[in-house]
Formats: sequence, structure tokens, C-alpha cells
Amino acid sequence: MAMKRRTTILVALGLAAAVILVLWKPTVLIYGVQQAGLYAAIAIPMGLVLGIVHIVNLAHGEFMMVAAYATYFACTASGMDPLLAIVPAAAVTAAFGWVVFRLTIRRALKAPELNQLILTFGIGIAMSQGINLLFSSQTRKISLDYVSSSLDIGELSFGTWSFVFVAVAILYAYGLKFFLTKTTTGKAAMAVGQNPRGAAIVGIDVDRTYGLVFALALALVGAMGALFLTKSAIFPGVGAPFTMKSFCLVAMAGVGNIPGILGASVLLGVSESFLRAFRETRGWADIVFFVLIIAVILGRSLKWRKS
Amino acid sequence: MNRNLARILAVVAGVLAVTLPALVGAYPLQVARNIMMYMALAITWDMLLRSGQISFGIAGLFGLGAYASILGVLRGGMPSWLSIPFAAIFSGAAAFLIGLAILRLRSTYFSIVTMALGEIFRIVIHNLHDFTGGPEGVVLQGVILGGDAGKLYWLTLAGLAVALGASFWFEKSKFHFALTAIRNNETSAKSSGVNIFNWLLLTFVITSAIQGMLGGIFVQSYGFATPDTVFSADFTLLPLAIALLGGIHSTVGPILGAILLGLAAEWLKLQIPYGHLIVYGIIIIIVILFMPQGLLGLARKTVRAADRRKP
Repeated sequence: MAMKRRTTILVALGLAAAVILVLWKPTVLIYGVQQAGLYAAIAIPMGLVLGIVHIVNLAHGEFMMVAAYATYFACTASGMDPLLAIVPAAAVTAAFGWVVFRLTIRRALKAPELNQLILTFGIGIAMSQGINLLFSSQTRKISLDYVSSSLDIGELSFGTWSFVFVAVAILYAYGLKFFLTKTTTGKAAMAVGQNPRGAAIVGIDVDRTYGLVFALALALVGAMGALFLTKSAIFPGVGAPFTMKSFCLVAMAGVGNIPGILGASVLLGVSESFLRAFRETRGWADIVFFVLIIAVILGRSLKWRKS
Repeated sequence: MNRNLARILAVVAGVLAVTLPALVGAYPLQVARNIMMYMALAITWDMLLRSGQISFGIAGLFGLGAYASILGVLRGGMPSWLSIPFAAIFSGAAAFLIGLAILRLRSTYFSIVTMALGEIFRIVIHNLHDFTGGPEGVVLQGVILGGDAGKLYWLTLAGLAVALGASFWFEKSKFHFALTAIRNNETSAKSSGVNIFNWLLLTFVITSAIQGMLGGIFVQSYGFATPDTVFSADFTLLPLAIALLGGIHSTVGPILGAILLGLAAEWLKLQIPYGHLIVYGIIIIIVILFMPQGLLGLARKTVRAADRRKP
């Protein structure tokens, strides 16, 4: 009951803030939601891996970066549009991720959590530095016409292309929810996530499921890599902030709560966009996630002490 | 006999380390300074690791100390020698505040927050442009100790001595038991009366203060600081790779790793100016997968196997 009341209060506060923003600075809300879509679409696969394989993949953003690089070179070589490359990028990243998983992460699944963290950290470094070594740290970008499409409502004018991230994020969240609760493979994956030993006893191949879930998450990340390229310039370090922001969002939503990531991203995206709206505070926008993660940790530790 | 041999070796190495400036030229001294700097950072990283907490924020606290030191001189009018302990206090105080907030939730949360530290401090420095010099950085009027290569070497050696001393103190005092107990099993540590939070906070503050002090020494010996040089990923990655390769949870492991990787790093920097860090990424992966106890563990295993074969 108390829980329900708190949720109502939070939703009411959120709505009130949204109404104020719409009246005062509508672009803050619009760009904030667009940014939130991007964050959520990248964070959701991390939430999936964390919820089922129980691995914090510190190379998460780097996988997206590598997918974006692969798409970039495929597209500049063939003149293809990055949008057409979404499916191949997803397939290639999934295959790459599966190989990395089989060769390295799988061996550390039974090891202490610390080893897993250091391992995926090392994998991330090897990936970003590998790209740096092969293609230098020069930024690369594909310019596309449809990205600069915009909409005018009265005096208000804003870019519309980034709403595609919001659509993808919602698709990811509810698609995964459907997959995990309605399909046999998905239910098996849920069972493995909840209790790997129990799942093994009832005949689920735990090892295969881990590989599958990891590859699925990386397919989603790979598709986002191609989509990210339509909008942004890429360089070897472009993925790293997304790893930390994704973890922040997953932690805010709580492990296993994939739709919750959407709400957490809106908070992060709109707060950043709010700070970016003013010249004096523009530079501080990238610090928001850090403040949020510290707030989450403080909140968790207080709750944990109470119980 | 074995212990005596180790003592003799340590004394010889110590004497050699102190008298090195009289023996070699400027370039080897420079290499030795780099090696000692990374060695000291690796040791402090390992000291915290002994409690089961991984910090990915070495570069952050190192860079923070570096900026505290250089701004202490430029803006606060401190003498340069005083700015080094000031850097230690500043980084230690920052670690205290961060640790106070986050050390109640440990392991992954702690690691991710420390991973963000370098980036966060960098943003702060960019934004406080007028005070910190922003992305272009700040330059000192003159280098500490008149820039004399031998004296700068001894200064870095002193920094290393502090790290070594702290690490041995951790190994021989109550710290060792408290941290090992926390690492092995927090619940049983707690039920034996170990105050986990206080020990971790103290350890985080001490190791961060030493990292900040090393940052101060670094910046005073080079005379300038920019966000890109003092928050460079090198200062996180190399110490990690060094401690892992040498063997974690010991003082000797990082010493061994630093000598090996420090020499290799000099060569690699010349061979692959951009992207040499990939080597450390790969070393980290290989060590974690195939020899989690590092070279030291491998050596111990070999010695033990040889002992067994003896009649």
C-alpha cells in the first residue's frame, strides 16, 4: 500500500515537472526524451545480461562502438545507408559477442565477481584500443539528409529524427518482456536467471542459454550501433560513457526491471537536456549520471539498513 | 636461508635504487622514474584490492592530486614541496567524501563509481576554466628541485618508499587480518566484530591519498598539468596490468610486474605510439583467464612442484 502511494506521488511529481517544462521550455522536454530513448535502447541490453547472466559487462559501450565502426566501413565502402545495415550489424555483433563470450567471459562465470569485472574491463580496453590502433582516433561521420528533418509547431522548431531512438527503446523493452514471459526460450532464460541450478535440474541447458542471452543482448547493441551512426560522429572512446550511463540506469531501475529502465532514462535524459539549455550550466550536463548513481547507492544503502 | 637471501636481495636492490643517479645517464633515470611511479600506483591499487574492492579510478585520484598540487602553487602561493602533502590530503579528503557515500554498497557499485571518477574530475576542471586553466591546462614557473635529474629521481623514489612502507605496514598490521577477512567473507567478518565500512573507508582514503601524493610529485617534476596528461588512462591501466601480471594481494607482485611491464612500456611507446594500451588490455584478459595469481603465483606453484619432486 505504502509502495503504491509512493509510486503515485512519484508519477504525479513527474507529470507536474513535465507540464511546467512544456509551458516554459518545450525543447528541453523534447530533446530530453529523445536522449532518453538513446540511453534506454543502449541500457536495456545491459539490463538483460545483468538480469540473466549476472555479469556486469564493462565492455558494453565498446561493443556498440565496434558495431558502429563496422557499419561505418561497410557503408562507406558500398554506399549503403546505415539504416539498411541495422540487421546485418545486429547479426555480426551478435556473432562477435558470442565468440567473445565463449572464449573469455564463460570461463570466468564461476570466478569471483571481481575477476569478471576486471576481465570485461580488459576486453573493453582491448576493443577501444584495437580500434584506435587500426583506424586512429580521428572522428568519423556519415552525413544523411533525413537526420536533419525537423518539425515546426507555431514558433517551436525541433529535430524529429532522434524520436527513432525512443521508438527503438520502447520496442526493445516490450519486445524483451514478451520474449521473456511468452516464449519457451524466453521462459527458460528467465528460469536460468532466477536459479541456474534449478534450471539445470529441470533440463535447461544453462550454458547454452547464457550464450544465447549474451548474443541476443549484443544483437540489440549492434543494431543500436548502426542507428547511432546515423546521428553521431564516432571515435574509439565513444562507447565508454554509455557503459557507465547504462549501468547507472539499470541500477536506478533495479536489476530485472527492464521497463523501469525507460523511466530512469527519461529522468537522466531530461535532466541533462535541462542543464544543456542554459549557457552557464551546459558543461555540467555529463555529471548528472554520476549524481544519480550516488543518489541511488545512498538510497539503496539506507533501505538496506532499515530492513 | 631463503628468508636471509630475500633480505640480502632487498638490501642490494635498495642500495642500487638509491645510488642509481650516480651510475647511469639521464635517459635510464627517466625510465626508472616512470617505472617507480607505476610501481607505486600498482601497489596502492593492490592495497585496496586486498579488501575485495576494485578501483578503476587510479587516474582520477592521481590527476586530482596533480591538480591540487599545481593549483596550490599557482593560486594558493604554496611552496612546491608543501604542495605534495597538500595533494595527498586533497585526494584523501575527496576519497573520504566519495567513500562515505558509496562504500555501504560495495563491489560492482564501487567499481563503476570509481570508473567514472576520472571523467567527472575532468568535467569539473573543464568547467572551472578560470581557476583551473580548462582543457589547455596550467604551467608552473619552474620545476621543483631546479629540474635536476638525480634529485627528481630521488623525489619519485621517496614517493615509492611511502607506498612500499604503507603496503608492508598493511601486510604486517591488523589491516591484513581485517581486509583479508572482508575479502573472504563479509558476513563472517562482520560477525567476528570487524567494522567493514570503517576499514574499507580508511583503506580507500589511505590509498587515494598516496595516489594523490604521487600525482603531486608527477606534476611538480614535469611543471605542467593538462586534463589529458594527468587523467590519462595510462595511470589506471598500467598499474592494473602491473599488479595483475606480477601477482595480486602482495607487495612483491606489483614490484615484479612493474619492472617487467615498465621496461616493456618504454619499448612499446616507441614501437606503437598510438594504441599501445591494447597490450595492457590483452595482458589483463590473459592473466585473469589463465593465471589469476600472476607470475608470483606461477613461481610459487613451480617451486612447490619442485619441492615435491625432491626425495
